[in-house]
Amino acid sequence: MNEVDPILLSVFARAFKSLTDEMSISLQKTTRSPILCEAKDFVTGIYDARGDMLEQTENLPILSFSLGPVCKYIIDYFGDDIHPGDILFHNDVFSMGNQNNDVAVYKPIFREDTLVAWSACKGHQADIGGAVAGGYNPNATEVWQEALRIPPVKVYDRGKLRKDVWDLIFANIRFDIVQQDMRAQIGSCIVGERRMLHLLEKYGRECFETHKRALFASTRRMMEAEIGTIPNGEYRGEATVYYDGKNRGKQYKIRVKIAVEDKHITFDYSDTDAQSDAFVNGTYTSSASAAVLTFLQMVNPDIPHNQGMVEPIEIIIPQGTILNAAYPAATTYGNHLCPPNADAIARALAPAIPDRVTAGWNHLLCSLTTGRDPRKDDKYVDICFMGLKGGSGALRGVDGYDHIGMIDASGGLLDQDYEMFEQQTPHVLIRHEYLCDSAGPGRWRGGLGVETIFGIGADNTQLVIFGDGDVEPAFGLHGGGSGSLNAIKLRYPDGKEHTPLSLDLITGVHKGTVYHQLAGGGGGYGNPKDRPAELVADDVRNGVVSAQAAREAYGVALNERTREVDHDATSRLREENGRGSKSA
Amino acid sequence: MSLKVGIDVGGTFTDFLVTQPGDEPRIYKVLSTPADPSVGLVNGLEEIAASMNLSLSALARSIETIVHGTTVTTNAVLTHTGAKTGLLTTHGVRDALEMRRGIREEQYNNRYTNVAPLVPRYLRMPIRGRLNYHGDVLQPLKLDDIRQALQLFKDEQVEAVAICFMNSFANAEHEQQAAELVRSEMPDAYLTVSADFLPSIRFYDRVSSTVLNSYVGPKLSSCVDRLQSRLKEIAFGGVLLIMQSNGGVMSPQVAHASPARTLLSGPAAGPEAGLGYVRVHGHESCITVDMGGTSFDAALVRDGTPSVVTEGEINRHRIALPMLDIVTIGAGGGSIGWIDEGGLLRLGPQSAGADPGPACYGKGGTLPTCTDADLVLGYLDPDFFAGGKIKLDQQAAVDAITQHIARPLGLPLEEAAAGMYRVISTNMAQGVREISIKRGNDPREVPMVAAGGAGPLHACMICQELDIPLFIVPRESSIFCAAGMLMSDLRHDFVSSFVSVFDDLDWPRLQTLISETIQEGTALLTQESIPEQRRRFSLILDCRYVKQYHEVSLPVALDTIHAADASTIAAAFHVEHKRMYGYSLEEEGAPIELINVRLRATGLTEKPAYAEEPYAGRDAGDALKGERRAYVPEDRASRFVSVYDGHKTRHGNHIAGPALIEQVNTTLLLTASYDCLCDSYGSFVVYRKGHEDRLSAPLQEMLT
Repeated sequence: MNEVDPILLSVFARAFKSLTDEMSISLQKTTRSPILCEAKDFVTGIYDARGDMLEQTENLPILSFSLGPVCKYIIDYFGDDIHPGDILFHNDVFSMGNQNNDVAVYKPIFREDTLVAWSACKGHQADIGGAVAGGYNPNATEVWQEALRIPPVKVYDRGKLRKDVWDLIFANIRFDIVQQDMRAQIGSCIVGERRMLHLLEKYGRECFETHKRALFASTRRMMEAEIGTIPNGEYRGEATVYYDGKNRGKQYKIRVKIAVEDKHITFDYSDTDAQSDAFVNGTYTSSASAAVLTFLQMVNPDIPHNQGMVEPIEIIIPQGTILNAAYPAATTYGNHLCPPNADAIARALAPAIPDRVTAGWNHLLCSLTTGRDPRKDDKYVDICFMGLKGGSGALRGVDGYDHIGMIDASGGLLDQDYEMFEQQTPHVLIRHEYLCDSAGPGRWRGGLGVETIFGIGADNTQLVIFGDGDVEPAFGLHGGGSGSLNAIKLRYPDGKEHTPLSLDLITGVHKGTVYHQLAGGGGGYGNPKDRPAELVADDVRNGVVSAQAAREAYGVALNERTREVDHDATSRLREENGRGSKSA
Repeated sequence: MSLKVGIDVGGTFTDFLVTQPGDEPRIYKVLSTPADPSVGLVNGLEEIAASMNLSLSALARSIETIVHGTTVTTNAVLTHTGAKTGLLTTHGVRDALEMRRGIREEQYNNRYTNVAPLVPRYLRMPIRGRLNYHGDVLQPLKLDDIRQALQLFKDEQVEAVAICFMNSFANAEHEQQAAELVRSEMPDAYLTVSADFLPSIRFYDRVSSTVLNSYVGPKLSSCVDRLQSRLKEIAFGGVLLIMQSNGGVMSPQVAHASPARTLLSGPAAGPEAGLGYVRVHGHESCITVDMGGTSFDAALVRDGTPSVVTEGEINRHRIALPMLDIVTIGAGGGSIGWIDEGGLLRLGPQSAGADPGPACYGKGGTLPTCTDADLVLGYLDPDFFAGGKIKLDQQAAVDAITQHIARPLGLPLEEAAAGMYRVISTNMAQGVREISIKRGNDPREVPMVAAGGAGPLHACMICQELDIPLFIVPRESSIFCAAGMLMSDLRHDFVSSFVSVFDDLDWPRLQTLISETIQEGTALLTQESIPEQRRRFSLILDCRYVKQYHEVSLPVALDTIHAADASTIAAAFHVEHKRMYGYSLEEEGAPIELINVRLRATGLTEKPAYAEEPYAGRDAGDALKGERRAYVPEDRASRFVSVYDGHKTRHGNHIAGPALIEQVNTTLLLTASYDCLCDSYGSFVVYRKGHEDRLSAPLQEMLT
């Protein structure tokens, strides 16, 4: 059947989505590293025989838009040396990978000896070799200090495990669970393959190809229609990167020029500063993913995620800039240039589409602890996801989302369950709660940040810290205020306090040390004096806005005893300061 | 007389199924009375009494068992109208309930907001006192913190209290001390203690489930109390049972303590009902689908047991109690058709509901719905909808589809309507995939049971989509859940955490835990007057490879536990893991660990005995009503097809597709690829032409 059946088109779109969802469930249920099974720091997808994206399940979008380009790279690399039963690994950032720790598995899908599609998934591995357990070596200056490079390699050849290759890879990786988690990724690809073959069996290759092309075209039209709603023009925005892990005080500017021309949008980063000589560098695919995922939040969220969606989007990032570092730069931090990148895009587009651009999101500031758990005499590694999740920026009509975390995950990254955290690490959780007055005030307030405190439960613990948001808070928009800053502090058993840098490696931390982290709130939108006083009173009653902030930032006075709004005093306060949106 | 009555209280209608041994079951539907559902219930009993020429009390006296399904707790959560609830929780983690682990389900949608917590922050009170991961006391409980919190609760007129402390699954001591104080200070408050209610690891799951239980507790208690007193007024002296989300029933006393167990009980009777209809044909597995006005429920029964999950959600609140694995999607007769930005035809999840309803209802709806498409395609008789109670407006349906679907897509009217029919069937097939393929089960291997007002119209297409060769439309299709309630057993689920690597299992301790749990179950069943020979106990072990985070639920025979046979359990685990996730680590000898022990205590109830009809021959001529034009999907065109009266078909009748079989509340469409046989219980057994070998032997015999 060569004709497109509009109904069958819907059938294929749904089937692809449920296929990648199913792969995602399989991976989450079987992996061991909490980074994967608790936080869901992975993505699953299917691609056609050319490597064009058919659909993805993007738990962590920053990983997502590198799977397709790597698939194409693998197809080029191996040429006709791809066979049924092959399974490949890849992580290399200089062949379209996005981050060293994000290791992908690819499985070609054959039907009657013809390559018809690929199933693939990529997850952030607990370790990938290099100088520091868990990655994120802030002292790295070139890639070999960061990770084992895996350009594409077959670990299964025509269905047979290449034991020598497998052992070579895992001889260079610290934790055994990484082997098992890669097995789980292979399992997920097999689950995807089963479903894809079932679909092809049912509809036939030709029908699939015809409808795939039609689906790409339909999705492309959807995206073009969305771009068409943005006024034509050129929009510029910039953001600052405050530290590179090596050169104190050195700053870098991310500069984006966004050109909208009818149905086409270009993100041009040509004016961005040159790359660093440390590990704060992006790769092309991580930076391009950042642009795509930020833009996707400004358009219809129901657009299917396939090749057609990305076709009208052009992204120019010259090599040698901090967003696309040249070989052999260290780049492990690259995914986390997404928050400032997103800020630059938001600042550029906020005047053009004020109803769709949020105020600034809280940036990531993250810690990773590793060591030996004395209770089990066994190694452990933990990324403190619960601690890093601050608030999102507010939008016209909607408050920011509390404790959602960085924009590159947008609420797809989950907290560890507290009791599982205490089972899997030697630490004891002391506090994990919303942080009062963290949200940027506004007619719509920013999302709340959180405060996290835990007691470190093992001697000789190693702490890796990476992120930012400790210098510049999430910005407000259209009269809204900014959110609070990020901060991490250690209190040692002897009572001394230490404030690590935003990129830092601290070794030999003793048991009894108290870890204390603040993740800031998101920026507010619109004048806070226009926020209904009752909503402010609710926030005060719930202890997430202080009475003082209610008065000073929002111009809302509360009766001290009842905590009800004091309307007279509020009117006076709000008149004194002038009602922003009308006077501004 | 000894009657059994299944009563399913829904949002619009309250359905009744009345059975008595040796008689045909009777079906009743009355309007629900949401303010006090017991009113509608008694109204229904009055109607039943009248139709049987009995006084209400004579009827009540002759009823042996009433099984009652209620959505009162579900609605309380969906509409945020449960009790004002206070939470006592460990100092430092009081926001876990609201944070929901920081998820935003729609990642790219910046207008998607968090769901309001069931307990606002100012009523979530931090209590000092701390246990470590093993249950050892790190910091003693501060009773003063509790006293202060309770003072606030009293000032705020809190009606229900939930207690959930960190690591209480390992040591309940602190929670019990707190509970004592609550009982003495606030004796009237509804109280749930997490260590009693759900003593398993994972703090967020436990706190959320515990709060849900308290939040719905007062509502369910008063609902059950009112029902009991009304039934007492009319001299009902039989047994009252309440439907649970796990597909079983429980006594009112148990419901008082665990009201959250009714939270997703609405569709929970379906799978058991489905099993009843396929069992008579020798099947122990089936897929059940139930399509109503706005939603479509699908479930899977494997080897005589409906699939159970332990990680459900209601209105985005986690509930970690065992419940039937039922997938609900927004697809029903009222689902609205629309064209998305990319030009794709979509149906639902938006529904026109009952008001204004589909365009053809003539109640002001102008958007094209699934029912409008069914009408345009000739599947519904405009003069015989709901047995003729609702007249359908054909022109309104034509206009709505022409304007919103046919014209924008550039398709003729009939093709547009056929497209809508196809898309919604695909959506439903997707729901069936969720409960079958996604869980690693092949839907082609088991028969499907199609129920609900709209289900039988779409069953052929769903089955074609999934290559399912056989499905059954029960005679009681339109009141499927009420029928299922009468098939349900008493069922109590217990869970305890028992974390241990298989190789180091402390078998005596495990055996003791299991026998103690069995005793607990025995006590409940005794309280419910279930004699020993009708008690059953089954065991599930949640296991995983060491260092995995999620478990595979593995049924294990009690004998295996007595024999301390770890290798049998391990072998079964590897097989199940591979089936579900594409690989196992058997060759590597990866160690396995046990996490939770789940015990189910079942009390077998007396099932209604339906009378069998005598064989009446193959010819369905007596039931033939006439012919009308209807769209035949295989032909991609309309033609005249036979229409049968589904109330006049008899055991053994054979009907060849394409055909329509009409009943008062539902219509069965046989497409050209399917034929149908009527079984001895009045159900329609539909099979794909050429797949007669999938029928049971007695049915095959009728064909020869």
